[in-house]
Amino acid sequence: MSEVVIRVAGANGDGIESSGMLLLKIAARSGRYVFGYRSYQSVIKGGHVWYQIRIADEKLYSHGSDIDILVALNQDAITYQLKHVKEGGIVIYDPSRTTISGAPQGTKLIGIPLLDIATKVSGDPIMRNTVALGAVLRLAGIDIAVADELINETFSKKSQQIADQNIKAAAEGYNFAGVERTFNIKNDSRRRYVLDGNTALSVGAYAAGCKFYAAYPMTPASGILHWFASHENLGVVFKQTEDEITAINATIGAASAGVRAMCGTSGGGFSLMVEGLGLAGMIEVPIVVVEAERTGPSTGLPTKTEQADLLFVNHAAQGEFPRIVVAPRSAEESFKIASEAFNLAEMYQCPVIILSDLYMAEHIEGVEEIDADGVKVERGRVQAEATNDGRFDRYKITDDGISPRSIPGTPGLEFVAASDEHNEYGDLISDVFAGIDEYVEKRKRMHEKRMRKIDTMLKNEDLFKPELEGGQADYFFVTFGSATMPAKEAVKLLSNEGLRFGIISFSYLLPIDAEKTLKILNGKKLIDVEYNFTGQLAQHIKSATGINIEKRILKYDGEAFTPKEIAEQAKLIANGW
Amino acid sequence: MATSYASDIKPIWCPGCGDYGVHAALNKALIDLGIDKSKIMIVGGIGCSSAMPHTFSTYAIHGIHGRVLPIAMGVKLANDELTVIGVGGDGDGYGIGGNHFVHTARRNLDITYIVMDNQIYGLTTGQASPTTLIGTKTKSTPFGDIEEPINPISVAISAGATYVARGFSGDPMHLAELIKNGILHKGFAVIDALSPCVTFNALNTYDWFRQRVYKLDASYKAEDKANALQKAIETETTNWQKIPLGLIYKENRPTYNELDITLKQGSLIKQPLPTKDQVRSLLDGYA
Repeated sequence: MSEVVIRVAGANGDGIESSGMLLLKIAARSGRYVFGYRSYQSVIKGGHVWYQIRIADEKLYSHGSDIDILVALNQDAITYQLKHVKEGGIVIYDPSRTTISGAPQGTKLIGIPLLDIATKVSGDPIMRNTVALGAVLRLAGIDIAVADELINETFSKKSQQIADQNIKAAAEGYNFAGVERTFNIKNDSRRRYVLDGNTALSVGAYAAGCKFYAAYPMTPASGILHWFASHENLGVVFKQTEDEITAINATIGAASAGVRAMCGTSGGGFSLMVEGLGLAGMIEVPIVVVEAERTGPSTGLPTKTEQADLLFVNHAAQGEFPRIVVAPRSAEESFKIASEAFNLAEMYQCPVIILSDLYMAEHIEGVEEIDADGVKVERGRVQAEATNDGRFDRYKITDDGISPRSIPGTPGLEFVAASDEHNEYGDLISDVFAGIDEYVEKRKRMHEKRMRKIDTMLKNEDLFKPELEGGQADYFFVTFGSATMPAKEAVKLLSNEGLRFGIISFSYLLPIDAEKTLKILNGKKLIDVEYNFTGQLAQHIKSATGINIEKRILKYDGEAFTPKEIAEQAKLIANGW
Repeated sequence: MATSYASDIKPIWCPGCGDYGVHAALNKALIDLGIDKSKIMIVGGIGCSSAMPHTFSTYAIHGIHGRVLPIAMGVKLANDELTVIGVGGDGDGYGIGGNHFVHTARRNLDITYIVMDNQIYGLTTGQASPTTLIGTKTKSTPFGDIEEPINPISVAISAGATYVARGFSGDPMHLAELIKNGILHKGFAVIDALSPCVTFNALNTYDWFRQRVYKLDASYKAEDKANALQKAIETETTNWQKIPLGLIYKENRPTYNELDITLKQGSLIKQPLPTKDQVRSLLDGYA
């Protein structure tokens, strides 16, 4: 694989995000695989941020380890990032604004008057991003014509003048960079979508007919909020609510009324949603809840990643009720999982929690295949009309635990959905009936009915077990959700060193098919890789299968795993086995 | 037309509870309006009065404590053709649900919200509520309540509700008119229904109310906001010696559903799912 890793570093407000996205799109449209990740802070202007863009001729699952090209937009960028530049790497900087000392031997320093060029071309200092972009394209060996096309598409919406100025700025940077050291990354003619995890999830939900999204702003789930808000003209309703309590309860109301509905938040907001989650479980309303984790506890590191809410979402809310928990393992899979989630929620009439995290939500991926045609809408057991004159038994005791549902507005199928324990008609049995023998038995049967849906879910042969890749390997990483991505790349790095690693990864986490999971894990040398202190996936696996994964690579400093750090730790573990 | 919207379920209320009068009033309002019962959604919270949904034979959700309005909002946004009625108590609506009360009012959703206000927590056996009067001794205020009570009428008007009324369960015919007109009103209609708790509130009894309530007459101008706010605080200015009943404030303002870019096109549930072509063309924007 040939690749180039570019890190553009500067301050919040420098325009790094939009030029980073532009570079990803240019590289993708010119026939390369891309991956992007933005590291930022909980401040609006200033501070230190970087955007990493990785371009390669193979599918990427990580923003990469060390930097080939550093674009330093201010002095902090040099102070903090120079040490991450690979031996023989390149630093693009503006000699009028920054000075470099102490660069390792062999580092190629390219001074470009970014600010002067930007000012000359447009009078707007923000355009120094585009000048740097042009220089990077030259070094990365990417055709500038594609850049012109994309710059035009991006900026002509604002004004043709801005688009033309940007094209000129990119050309100046391109010419200035010279060609002494270029990367040669093969390209093909395949089309790739450039999607972050939140966008892929949003489009997947939309494709599945999600018509309602409610949320209170919270990083890193806000991308979904922005997507739905900006696509209200596509026949969806986005409702910003006064808090996450309202978000989930409004979602329950909308789903009760018959539309596919979703809400989303991060761990703090999910904490507020917990009571509503139990309501959805009790009245068997199909809702989808996105929980995009960030570093906790409490406010934690709002702009950093973690996977420390797995056991929380698995168990959140009082009492017991069936739920599905699923963590996408790529942006590509986020689309698929979001579109499946509504079918599962409606088939089993229960909440489905999509467990994402900051890295999953905000990383940007070049995706080749999005199976829009494969999206099926299955609405589950909905009764369309009354079949007799009697009362509708919405919570009918059935063998598979799933009862017929009616959509309000349908004559003759009226019922009360009660958060109190209820009989098959929805009448509460918590008041004058509680404790009376007949109703003790009714409670037991109703609870068993709900819980039977778990057995029904587990009849699905494909979903509720991990995926095994590299069956002949000597060691296996065990992962869920976003940690799967860097672990996949670590497998490649280790194989270059002659170590045979495979990977066993979970997207669907709950319910868990203990028997199948045990079969996949049994007798293998396992290394648990996740973003938390206590090894929550390992605990979950142990409680289901009895297998205790002792070897663990755990990260809880807020930063994303690099493939290299996983490989290095794995090597130590393997050597000591 | 239905002769009754009541179900066969017996209410959980104590004999003499004010909620019986509110139930009768809501039932009468629905009978008068003659709405198809399958097109009605009644949402309740938790508490004595919140169990009211069970006593009707419409669609209903008996939800969780304080969340009547968020659930009702979701229903109304999803299906504008349903008549959505929220029911609950003062603790549910003004206490734990206080945040939702304010924000639902400013959205002007076309929902009718009936709060059975008994100035006490009944189902939890008699603790102070947000509308308990200063000095009242309850299980949670054995030395007398020291917090100023919420004035739901002035809060509702200030927050942007467009139909704000007060009724009394001791006069169900009058209350029924207020509820009926609240349902007919396009926008967020709040009806604070004084509903005595005969078991745990020894102060605010039927007799106590009868000595103090009076009906606003035809000369009262409900459309004048400053005047309405003045009327709303009459309870405070007269130290609860005079309690006005009737429509205190009314305003015609577009509802949320009339303003929302998607809902303007019609009820959400009737809008088509995206076609494969629409999804593909959306995706093309990301290539």
